[in-house]
Amino acid sequence: MNRKIKDFPMIKHIVLALFLVFAFYTAVFGAVGCDLNDPDRDVARLFPESTGYKTIYTSILKKGGETLLTTVETRLGVKFQGIYETIDVPYTIYEIFTNKKKIGYIHGVNQKGQFGGIQVFLVLNLEGTIRGFYIQKMTSQYAGKLRDQKFGKQFIGLTIKDFANYDAVLGKSSGKVDAIKNPAPEAEADFRAALRATKKNLILMDEFVLSAQPVQSSEGGTK
Amino acid sequence: MITIFQVAYKNLFRKKVRSLLTMVGIALSAWVLVSLLGFNRGYETSLNRDIDNMGFQLMIMAKGCPYEAATLMLKGGTGLRYMDESIMKDIMKESEVEKITPILMSAVFDPNKGANGGIAGYFGVEPKSFAEMKPFLKFRQGKWFTDTNSHEAVMGFEAAELEQREVGDMILMPEKNVQFKVVGILDRTGTQDDGTVFVPLNTLQKIFNRPNEITTIGIKLKKGVDSGHLEEKLYKLPDVQIVSLAQVKDTIMKLISTAKVMVLSIAIIAIMIAMVGVVNTILTSVWERFQEIGILKTIGAMPWDVFKLIWMETLMLCAIGGVLGIIFALTLSRITDIVMRRILPYAPGGGLVLIDLKLIVITLIGILCIGLLSGIYPAWRAGRIRPLEAIRGEAGR
Repeated sequence: MNRKIKDFPMIKHIVLALFLVFAFYTAVFGAVGCDLNDPDRDVARLFPESTGYKTIYTSILKKGGETLLTTVETRLGVKFQGIYETIDVPYTIYEIFTNKKKIGYIHGVNQKGQFGGIQVFLVLNLEGTIRGFYIQKMTSQYAGKLRDQKFGKQFIGLTIKDFANYDAVLGKSSGKVDAIKNPAPEAEADFRAALRATKKNLILMDEFVLSAQPVQSSEGGTK
Repeated sequence: MITIFQVAYKNLFRKKVRSLLTMVGIALSAWVLVSLLGFNRGYETSLNRDIDNMGFQLMIMAKGCPYEAATLMLKGGTGLRYMDESIMKDIMKESEVEKITPILMSAVFDPNKGANGGIAGYFGVEPKSFAEMKPFLKFRQGKWFTDTNSHEAVMGFEAAELEQREVGDMILMPEKNVQFKVVGILDRTGTQDDGTVFVPLNTLQKIFNRPNEITTIGIKLKKGVDSGHLEEKLYKLPDVQIVSLAQVKDTIMKLISTAKVMVLSIAIIAIMIAMVGVVNTILTSVWERFQEIGILKTIGAMPWDVFKLIWMETLMLCAIGGVLGIIFALTLSRITDIVMRRILPYAPGGGLVLIDLKLIVITLIGILCIGLLSGIYPAWRAGRIRPLEAIRGEAGR
């Protein structure tokens, strides 16, 4: 028997309600910032000894405007480009604590990859040395290789000084950065994007926090 | 010569804190009232705009598809129901139909979207009929596909923003490892189109090995036709279900009606509390000025003069509180919007709280009426004070 769906008012309402979930799902999209998808879980995973964190929201516009933008671009060696690298793009800095003692930072940046935006997070100690590298999002056939821990381990111990000579345009450097091996030679563009994102991340952290006055912070989640 | 208005105004300033607190009470209730009424208007306006922006009034889906459409976003494109494209011929025969457009929804799981992966959804559309259905879609960059079989993509504004794509860039469909060239980026519409990646229908059918199959047909009706009559006819088609966007609207309104009743109840309670506060403040003020009112009467003030004076004080309290509340509502409407979005099961795009001049005037008149009502009893008691008893301080308070 082929009964009409309108014969079941309750079902019809459920159907329509579910339809809405799909038809109007635009609300899931937000600003072009770069946050950890699940900060409570991710902070605990990236900083196992942490007991809590604070979240700082800032931007180049807030911290120094055009002057800072010029400084960052000069240090990066390339102009910012695209809607995800503008002066007002929000940045989220996670200050990590063990009890009340600050022990480091987690900070992510957006970076244009070969097939869409990638999100590169750095786990830093208080001096700004990388102690963890995490690509949260990347679309590529070879994303698995670049998101693998083996690739990330190559960044541990590096600082902004090591990246100072990295040419974000040519993808060339000397010293420790040059020693970072691309696990997927077919994805050279994404490999370079990851390095550029790392340099940008370190520069921003240096300008925002490490060589600057403390910025206003707000209490975040705790373990 | 000093007027009643000036006397009332000065009286209110004699007990500044008490007057201020009463005004704040009125302001808060006015704020809730304006925000609620503004929300009622804003929500419906936004919902109508969202539905209009869908471009079609009816959607036909394979039976069970809306369930699957919801799960598509949760676990990928598994289990979707499909219809044969040939059904479009039957639909076009109906005299009420102006235009139709076929859509194939598909989604793939991208394990590299975050720690647990995520779903990437695609809409396969016919550029000609889809664009005709939605003439309001404007391109920020580029244009529609050049070929219905091409590997080209048009991205909604937010999809392009999140994926950091521009015209000329390549996007990759995970799982299938198929590349598309971005040929167009749409302007922001405030609808689901903002987060959608559109690709040619034929191409998507080939990639997912679904030749001549679709998931949805959008139907635009001729002006003035009865959609119910058409729905009755379309129900006769085998294994399809009709989703009328008028029904969708009704369903949403039903879904949020509980929330609206709750907020309305809160507003009514807030107004009642404010009314009691006003009565209490004015009555206390009358008792405190018992002898003063008696003296006023001995020097010639009539009961109606005293009544007017006290009534004027009430009215001023309510008017100032009401204006403050309206200012709160206007300046904090964005916050109200955010809170409502968190509470409601579904919120359309655009502003949810719409406060216009008409609403402001209606609310202000409402608050003043409440003020006048609240002032009647204290003013009446004040008017009844007997001068000699008041001066002797013997009146039964």
